[in-house]
This record gives sequence, C-alpha cells and structure tokens, in this order.
Amino acid sequence: MILPPIITVSQLYKRYPSSATDALKGIDLEVGHGEIFGLLGPNAAGKTTFFSILCGLVKPTSGTVYIDGKSIENDMEAIKKKMGVVPQDIALYPTLSGRDNLLFFGRMYGLKPSELKPRVDALLDLFGFDENRNQAVNKYSGGMKRRINLLGGMLHEPNILLLDEPTVGVDVQSRRAMMEHLKDWNENKESTIIYTSHHMEQAQQFCHKVAIVDEGIIVAKGKPNELIKEHDCNSLEEVFIKLTGKKLRD
Amino acid sequence: MQRIVATLIKEVQLLLKDRTGFVILFVMPVLLVLIMTLIQNQAYKSLNEAGVPVLFINFDNDSLGTAIERGFEQNPICKLQVYHPDSTANFEERVAFAKKEVLQGTYLVALIVPPGASQMLREDVERMMDGFMNGDSLVVEEKPLEQIHIEIITDPVARKSFVMAITSGLRELVASVKTRVLFQIMTQKMSSLIGADTSLELPESDFFVFNESAAVSDSQPGLIPNATQHNVPAWAIFSIFFMVLPLASSMINERITGMHARMMTFPGSYLSIISGKIIAYIIIANIQFLLVISMGKFVLPLLGMPMLHLGDQWLALVALTFSVSLAAVSYGLMVGSIFNTQQQSAVFGGISILILSALGGIWVPLNIMPATMQQIANISPLNWALKGYYEIFIRGGGWLQIKWEVMKLVLFFAGNLLFAAYFQKLKRN
Ligand SMILES: Nc1ncnc2c1ncn2[C@@H]1O[C@H](COP(=O)(O)OP(=O)(O)OP(=O)(O)O)[C@@H](O)[C@H]1O
Ligand SMILES: [Mg+2]
Repeated sequence: MILPPIITVSQLYKRYPSSATDALKGIDLEVGHGEIFGLLGPNAAGKTTFFSILCGLVKPTSGTVYIDGKSIENDMEAIKKKMGVVPQDIALYPTLSGRDNLLFFGRMYGLKPSELKPRVDALLDLFGFDENRNQAVNKYSGGMKRRINLLGGMLHEPNILLLDEPTVGVDVQSRRAMMEHLKDWNENKESTIIYTSHHMEQAQQFCHKVAIVDEGIIVAKGKPNELIKEHDCNSLEEVFIKLTGKKLRD
Repeated sequence: MQRIVATLIKEVQLLLKDRTGFVILFVMPVLLVLIMTLIQNQAYKSLNEAGVPVLFINFDNDSLGTAIERGFEQNPICKLQVYHPDSTANFEERVAFAKKEVLQGTYLVALIVPPGASQMLREDVERMMDGFMNGDSLVVEEKPLEQIHIEIITDPVARKSFVMAITSGLRELVASVKTRVLFQIMTQKMSSLIGADTSLELPESDFFVFNESAAVSDSQPGLIPNATQHNVPAWAIFSIFFMVLPLASSMINERITGMHARMMTFPGSYLSIISGKIIAYIIIANIQFLLVISMGKFVLPLLGMPMLHLGDQWLALVALTFSVSLAAVSYGLMVGSIFNTQQQSAVFGGISILILSALGGIWVPLNIMPATMQQIANISPLNWALKGYYEIFIRGGGWLQIKWEVMKLVLFFAGNLLFAAYFQKLKRN
C-alpha cells in the first residue's frame, strides 16, 4: 500500500514584514512517510523560515501546507502533537540541568510521570551523559548543549521530526552517535525526519531524499545518488556547488 | 492541567537557581519591614496606646492647674507625670529641669503652669466683667488671657500634629475654666445685686469632652494605628509588587534563550503556558505576604515593637491578598511583554514601583500628607491595596468595606493582561 505524502507544500511564499524581498518564493515539496528528507541550502536560503512555517511559529504569506492530511491553517494544534522540533539556536533553560530541561519538555508533551523519568535517563545514557546530566546547562560544552537540544525535540517520539542543523559544533564521535540513533529511530518508529545541514557528506549518507534551496527557491530535489548522476558529479557537495554557485550569501 | 503543573515546577526550579530573584522576593521584604518599622516606631509612639509621656508641673495648685491636670489625665494620648512643687520651689529652675528632661527624651512634652495662674485668671475675668458692666468693652482686649504664661516645651522630633493637639487641648481647658470662673463671678454678682444667697456651681464635668482617640472599630477597642499596623501591610504590598523584577526578567529570558519560541511549538495554547507562570507567581506573592505578616505577628514584638493585629475578617483578607497578587503578577507580565532587555525592564519596573509606592503612601502614611497628595494617591494600585489592609487591620472592616478596592485591583489585573496580550501579539508579527 502506498501512503500519501506526509507533508505536502505548494506555492509557499513568505515575506517578513520588515523585509523588501521574499524569504520563500513558491516552494513546492512532498515528503513521504518514513522518509529522511534533507533540506540543503546556503545561508539565508530560507530553510529556517520554512521550518518555522511547518511548526506554526511563522505564518506564510501565501500557499498551503498539509501535514498528515491536516492544514497548518486550521489544524495546527493536532499537527503540533505529532511533531517534534529541534531549533537551530539552542533553546534550553540555561540555569536548569540537562535532565530537568528534558523532564520539563516531556511534561509539556503530556508524557506520564511513570514513563518520563526512565525514558529521559535512558536517552541521556545513550547520548553519553553521566553524572553531568544534573549540572546546569550553562556549564555544558557546546556539543553537550546540542545533544540536549536534540533530545528535547524527540523525547516524546513524534511522527515528524524537524531538525534544523542538529549537529553544528558536535564532535565526530557524538555526531556519529547522534546520526546512528536518528537512523535507528527512523527505522524502528517509522517516523519522518526533515533535516537541514551544511554538512553535505552527512546528508548524502543520511538522507533518502534531499532538496536544494537557494534564495527561497528549490533548485533541485531527488535521491542523493540520482542527483549526483543527473548532474554528472562525484558527490552531493559538487552538485550543491554546481547549483548554488560560489558566491557568498548574506 | 499537566502543562500548568509542568510550568509550575519549572518556575520553582528556575527561581531556586536565581539567587537575585530569590533575594528580591523573600529576603528584601523581611529586611524592609524590619527596618522601616524600627525607624517609624519612634515617631508612631506619639500616638500609640500607651500614650505619650507628658510632664506636668503644676505651680498653680488651684482651679486652672487642676482642670488642666484632669483634662490631660483623661486624654488617652497622654501619659501624664504630675509634679506639685511647693511654694519654695524656683519657677525658672523647674523650667530648666523640664527642658532637660524633654531633651533627654524622657518626655515628649512638658507643661508648666505658673504660680498664681488661677488667681490671675479670676482677676482677668472679673476685670472683664466689670468693664463689660460699665459699658467699656475695650478693657477686654487690654488685658488678654495670654498674660498667663503656660510653658509648653516640646521635643523637636515630636510630630507637629501631636504638639498642636496638646496646645489646642490646653486652650480648650483654659477656656472651660474661664467659663466656669465667669459663671461663678456672674452668679456672685447677681446674688449680691439681688441680695439673695445663691451658691450656684457649674457641674464638675466639663462642657468640653475631649475624645481624641482614633476612630477605630468598637469590636477591637484600643486598636490604634502604629508603626506595625502601617508598615507590615505597606511593605508586604511593596514586596509583592516588586516581583515585577524577577517576573518580567523571567519572561524576557525565555524570549532571549529561545524557550518562548520553543514552547510555542508545543501543543496547547499560550494561555496554558503562561497560566503556569501566573499561578507560580500568585503562590509566591501569597508566601511573601505570609512571610511579612508573620514578621509583624511574631518577630516585631520580640524587638519591642507593637504586635500586628490582623482583625477577624479572614475572608476579606484572603480576597484582598489574592487581588493584590493578581494585580502585581499582571503588572510583571505587562512589563515583561513590553520590554526586550532585562535592563530596560528592571529600570522601568523598579522605578515605576518606587514611584507608585511613594504616591500610594507606602513610605509615608497618607494621613500625615497634604490633601492633594491624598488625592493623587488614588491612582496608585499600591494605595488601593493599602487602604484595603488598613480597613481590615485597623478598622476591623470586612468585604463590604474593601470591595471597591478589590474590584479596582481586579480591573487593574484585567487591563494589564490585555496590554500584555497586545504587546505579545505585536512582538510575534
Ligand atoms: N524574523 C525575520 N525578519 C525578517 N527577515 C528575516 C527573519 N528571519 C529570517 N529573515 C530573512 O529571511 C531570509 C531567510 O532566512 P532563514 O533564517 O530562513 O535562512 P536559513 O536558510 O535558515 O539560513 P542559515 O543557513 O544561515 O540558517 C534571510 O534573508 C533572512 O534575513
Ligand atoms: Mg537557519
């Protein structure tokens, strides 16, 4: 049985009130059930804006978005329950411990107290936290904060996980562990992951499908291998450079 | 519901980690009420139940001296110490002695009635009568009563209103004696004119009845405003409103750390997120109130200050305190919604509460302020709260007496919430 796409985006435009140009200029996109979908693009391409619209933080100027058959305009509340969001900028309470932050997130998502604590502790074990889980987040290293930031979005086991550059500043060991875990999770929980990154090699390995965005427009989409073949390149990074140029972005 | 509990737990955890916030919320109120009550206790002593120590040296030992002595003995605001120097005593010496005693603070006021004062008064009145009967009214002004020099020595720190009460009381006593003397002389003259032997006397009780005790509830006699009765509610209110600092700061922090936006991606309305915060700070406000109240009830008396009387209108007290906490929390929410940085909110929040508290009679009780100030005070929510507590603690009032204050506070709460919601919306776009 072929499931309909879990996310359908059509003709999505966004212009911020303070801005003279559109941050998104007509995005059309479909993401299938259980896919790991990579949204790749240079700085200021509009990736975070796109995510903000999906999770209800920002209202689109025009266009439609359906998530699991529900419109973001009318059914955001139902969508939020199935969604996990990991913001690009670390968003945690700096004076609370990593564990207390996660317990707070879990409670906010309505997890039962009896299952919350074991789950949080298991995830902290898995992500390499020892006694330091009870230390204040502002005493953590950058990578440790990143890991807590990530766990905060997936603790409640959402059907759809939005990851905005989840591995920035994380060392190779931790990054591998994180990606492995996400991959396992995607397979076992049959959840969909949409993720942005500037790390092309990682995206090439990790994603079933990618879309390359530049200045608010999708310039290419498809399976990484097919895109490489199609553009006669050796890697996704080459495709990316070929399509988006060498110019620096603001 | 679970989300409200979650934010509640989180707020408590945050507060326990926030030393400055903790000090502002719980240490400052205790210190404030202690210090301010100690400072004002001395000044208030001039009006409290025990009465002000007044030294009375009666050289006269005649009707005028006795009348003054009796008058002040009946006056509840005075604690009279009377001396009757014998005829050998030196008047000037005694005046110097009285001055010394007042300067040392043993007495707040000393009154010295000179020798022969009653006799002088009688002569005065007689001359006045004679002149009057002879149709020569000018004589009246020639020898005015002020010739009898009653010395009044006051402590420079004594409140003016109190000194005025003493002098006006004195004047009235002298007037009453004068009236009696006049009456006596008149009856004497009459009887000598008529040739009948009448010994009419005015009744011993005065024409003038002094009733200077403060207008307090009958159910709690002896309850008079004092340093504790003013300062405990005043600083409880001030401290509760000062939560604008930690509360606004916690809101701004959530925006800066991205937690605000992150919480907006959680299911459930913003109202459920913010109501956890509101409940947390309402609980904090009530803890602050209990803390300051227990200072007045248990700690201040240990330090020799008057004990706080809470009255017996518990329901009114709970309603008032709840509305005060609503008002304070909403003010914090509003300030936290308007400003973008901690510094802005701290400066605006702190200064605005200082101004509202000064206007509202928190620092200096309104009853000793000019009438215009008392009018201006009406704009301060801290004043509404203070009036409510005065009503319950001092006058024994209940819900009916405080309902308007409670309603104003609740309206203030609603208004602030609307403002806060408006600014939140403005920020989101
Ligand atoms: N709140 C905002 N107000 C006005 N303009 C904004 C706002 N947020 C983003 N923009 C603009 O929208 C465009 C897209 O920004 P966005 O953050 O979506 O890019 P991005 O692809 O996530 O970039 P990066 O890789 O650097 O994270 C940029 O030009 C940016 O300046
Ligand atoms: Mg971004």
